[in-house]
Amino acid sequence: MPDVTQNSSAPATSSAGQPNTPAVTDRQAIFRILKLWQRQAPRLAIGLMLALLALCTGLLLMQVSGLRLAGAVLGEVIITTALLRWVGVGRVFLRYSERLFAHDAMFRALADLRVWFFHSLAQGAAAGLGFRRAGDMLSRLVSDIGTLDGLYLRILLPFMCACLTLPILLVQLCSQNIILGCLTGLLFACSAFLFPYLIARSGRQDSERLTQNLSALRISVLDLVSGLREIRAFGAEDRMLARVQADDRALLDGQKHLARRAAIANATAYLCGQIAILFVLLAISGIVFSKVAPLSGVGILFLTVAAFESAGALTRAGVQAGAMGAAARRVVEIAQVGPVSAQTEQEVDAPAGTDIQVTNVKFRWASSRPYVFDGLTLDIPAGSRVAILGPSGVGKSSLAALLLKAAAPESGSITLGGVNISHIRATSLRRQIAWLSQATHLFDDTIRSNLLLGKPEATEEDLWRALEEAAVAGVVRNLPEGLDTWLGEGGVNLSGGQGRRIALARTLLTNAPIMILDEPATGLDAQTEQDFLRTLNTVTAGRTVILIAHRLTGVEKLDQIWRLSHGQATTVAVS
Amino acid sequence: MVLGILSSLVGVAQAWCIAVVLGHALISLHSGLSPQTFPVWPIVSFLVLALARACVVAGADVAAANAGVEARRRLRGKVLGSILAGGPALLRQTHSGALTSTAVDRIEALDGFFGRWIPASVTWIAAPALVLIPICIIQPRAGLVLGLCGLAVPFGQAIFGIGAAVASRNQFLAMTRLQARFLDRVKGIATIVLAGRTEDETQRLADAADELRQRTMKVLRVAFLSSASIDAAMVIALIVVAIMDGKVALALQAENASPQLEHVLTSSLFVLLVIPEFFAPLRALALAYQDRAHAQGAATAVLDLPAVQSHPALEEQQLASERAISITLDQVCFTWDPARGQALDKISFRVPAGETVILTGASGSGKSTLMELLLGFIKPESGQIRLNDTPLETISSDALSRIISWIGQKPTLFAGTLRDNILFAHPDADEQTLMAAVKAAAVDQFLPSLPEGLETRIGEGGFGLSGGQAQRIAIARAYLKNAPVLLLDEPTAHLDPETEKSIFESLQQLALNKTVILATHSAAAHMFNGQQIGLQSGKIIFQQGAA
Repeated sequence: MPDVTQNSSAPATSSAGQPNTPAVTDRQAIFRILKLWQRQAPRLAIGLMLALLALCTGLLLMQVSGLRLAGAVLGEVIITTALLRWVGVGRVFLRYSERLFAHDAMFRALADLRVWFFHSLAQGAAAGLGFRRAGDMLSRLVSDIGTLDGLYLRILLPFMCACLTLPILLVQLCSQNIILGCLTGLLFACSAFLFPYLIARSGRQDSERLTQNLSALRISVLDLVSGLREIRAFGAEDRMLARVQADDRALLDGQKHLARRAAIANATAYLCGQIAILFVLLAISGIVFSKVAPLSGVGILFLTVAAFESAGALTRAGVQAGAMGAAARRVVEIAQVGPVSAQTEQEVDAPAGTDIQVTNVKFRWASSRPYVFDGLTLDIPAGSRVAILGPSGVGKSSLAALLLKAAAPESGSITLGGVNISHIRATSLRRQIAWLSQATHLFDDTIRSNLLLGKPEATEEDLWRALEEAAVAGVVRNLPEGLDTWLGEGGVNLSGGQGRRIALARTLLTNAPIMILDEPATGLDAQTEQDFLRTLNTVTAGRTVILIAHRLTGVEKLDQIWRLSHGQATTVAVS
Repeated sequence: MVLGILSSLVGVAQAWCIAVVLGHALISLHSGLSPQTFPVWPIVSFLVLALARACVVAGADVAAANAGVEARRRLRGKVLGSILAGGPALLRQTHSGALTSTAVDRIEALDGFFGRWIPASVTWIAAPALVLIPICIIQPRAGLVLGLCGLAVPFGQAIFGIGAAVASRNQFLAMTRLQARFLDRVKGIATIVLAGRTEDETQRLADAADELRQRTMKVLRVAFLSSASIDAAMVIALIVVAIMDGKVALALQAENASPQLEHVLTSSLFVLLVIPEFFAPLRALALAYQDRAHAQGAATAVLDLPAVQSHPALEEQQLASERAISITLDQVCFTWDPARGQALDKISFRVPAGETVILTGASGSGKSTLMELLLGFIKPESGQIRLNDTPLETISSDALSRIISWIGQKPTLFAGTLRDNILFAHPDADEQTLMAAVKAAAVDQFLPSLPEGLETRIGEGGFGLSGGQAQRIAIARAYLKNAPVLLLDEPTAHLDPETEKSIFESLQQLALNKTVILATHSAAAHMFNGQQIGLQSGKIIFQQGAA
């Protein structure tokens, strides 16, 4: 399916945060997923082989034990005890190893898929999640990818097994009685292929709704949990509970509905098998069908019983197939939201020079929004220290987003060391620029791990120096567990200002030659703020510092000050 | 459950029908009888039984699924109730991702417990025992073989079961850890991407995902072993019966005793056909064993949540007045973590009704802790807080939330539209009241810039709104609520001076005739008149202005 994958991997032109993802059909999505499993293909194939072998021994076992007994009538031992024993041992052993191997291969593939999903999500998320909700992403990563295990275990494996069983059944039965063979084969095909297909098709929408309902429930539960403070303060417990329970009801009602369908599918599969047995019985008795030899009759009866047992699994899988298609689509959709900036064919590493030149840039977040920049021109030489001032909403953060390639200008150019940044690989560019933003996230981890995000190879000494510079070393030193203190979700174990300074320390720790500090002094009281800005004057020697602020305190040593207004930048005399 | 047993019995009857037909056919081979004497009744009854069994099985499936759905509905309600009862203090101990996973996935995983384990646990003794009775009657020696093989199964289960429970608990732990990790990383994904750490984080996620795989495989290995042990028991029974009866039949054939031979053949074929039926309930039990383990894990996680307190032990007291409220703190102490010292140390002050107190102090000096105490999120270790001389702990949380409005550093905005988010404070408010609040909080100033005005949907963490805009929504909520006490916890911490000034102007309006505690270290706080209290490391270091 080369055309399918090409379609789905084409870079999307939508900007991050806009939910207009191109539509993918379930089939395309499933092929995409199967392609992603290529790395595990050998394991998956071995699992399949084992499943087929286990199936053969299973069919054989029932048949030989029936024949062993029936053979007694003629006074002969058709089936030797040794054969019986070997088939028995083989059956138990193969079944166990098949299940173990197939499941292991599957879970390896799922782990790969989870990693791929996160990676794809990261590709389009330099500007944050936008309108995508974290709860929804979580639902996709956990439940949807979890559902996909059925694709291999419940659909692909039984399908291949059925493909193998059908000819065996046909050959054995037709050799006795052509009509019987054809009728039973037809029943088997209905049970294994036609019914599952019909059930899957008719249940597609229901299953899809179920997937969405689960995601909706997760979003509202997460909303409830993270809004506990507000809920308590407004006494909104009952209302929020009612809201979550409405989502819960939608989900559970859907599941009830699905369970009813599954029960019907189950009963249908069972009846198919029973009718086939009935046919064989009739043939043995010589009613309706021409009579088959009793001895082979016993053989094919036991074969039919065993064969239809495996077909039933497929009928049941039909009920879940819709859910799997929907899950596959929800997972693949994430990769559809391509990187924001248009991909250029040849991307290069960032050059050694770090002069920044912004020329005549026009930019807006969406075509429905007003221009943030309209002819912005800036010149920031390497190693200089500049401030960019302006009230909130004037586009200071947008400028940082443009420099980091989290967004792309509509027209105009931004160059780093003389190279247009649209030609520079984003990862390489971001290694040159460290950014402390308002939204900088503290992870639910230790202080040490949070700091090491800035520079994984940093020594203990480096960490303390950075903390010292960010005026938070004293606080950390007083913590009983020091650097290994667990920060908690969003840094909940520290006060807001302290958490911000940890984030600042992380930024200072990076080796990046350019630092963009967006309001680094937020949350500091006046005295600490001045101390911090003085430190900043010395610790960043040799690096370019872009200080984004709404005002200056007077202690900063700056080479240049720009003021943003009306989408343009003007220089202000340095006092 | 009755249906399950019934279904097994129907299966036995069917096997008998098949065996009669086969026995008849085979014996005709032996004695060379003409096939005209074939009885039709077994075939007809086989068909009728098949139809009956299909209905019974479908009924049992639906009943089990419905029971599972009801149980999950009930349990999820309980878990959510516990989370709400635990309140904000819970978030300090547990990641919101982990709590979500408990309320959503753990409860979903219980499906198998109610849908599979409970029916299986009831039928696994009764059904095989009932199946064994006809076998014993028809062919006692086969009954003995089956009985022995069947008895071996529970021993195998007991051995594997203990291992399965432990492994399953670990698996869920890995699952929860993966979820919490992913949620945290997704929330901070921009930070990761812009720090150029995507590869590292992806690798760590890969490790977590791999850990989940290994743990899951451990659970499955045990579960598969236990069902393999049942398979083995079944295969042994099958082979022993086939060989044993084959010998008997051979002997009879040699003696040329037709009637006995037919009986032996029919009964032996019956036993062979019924063996899978005998083992099916045991196999179902083995398959459902991990469901039980999941349920135990879920129960532990749910038990870790605080129980819903029926109501405070102290008798609830009504406040003398609902409108004018004074706040008194008397020697209040609080500690988050003993190793880090006291967060608040003997704090005493009083805010008369309708007046304002401004709390100042560096970050970490205890301002937010004080706010959380006043909101009732946490309880003082010692000392007392009184509202109009009524101790705080005797006021029900409903009554408390009616009299206190709170605006924090960053308001939580819920999934939904701007309108939903403002109406959160007072869902029954009419359009006029809503618009008044929108105007008073100056939300109307930025509405034109939003694509759909009040109906604009808000993204994760208030995406699409600036910090000042989000704060205005919080103010609009407070207007709608119009409570007599207003707690402001650094409401302008993330705003620039101009926005800060206009937010403070809105807050000044809101604060009229209310009892206000404002925590801030902004210089603009002088816009509020009132007593100033300085905090440092949980102690009051100065107190100035009118009290």
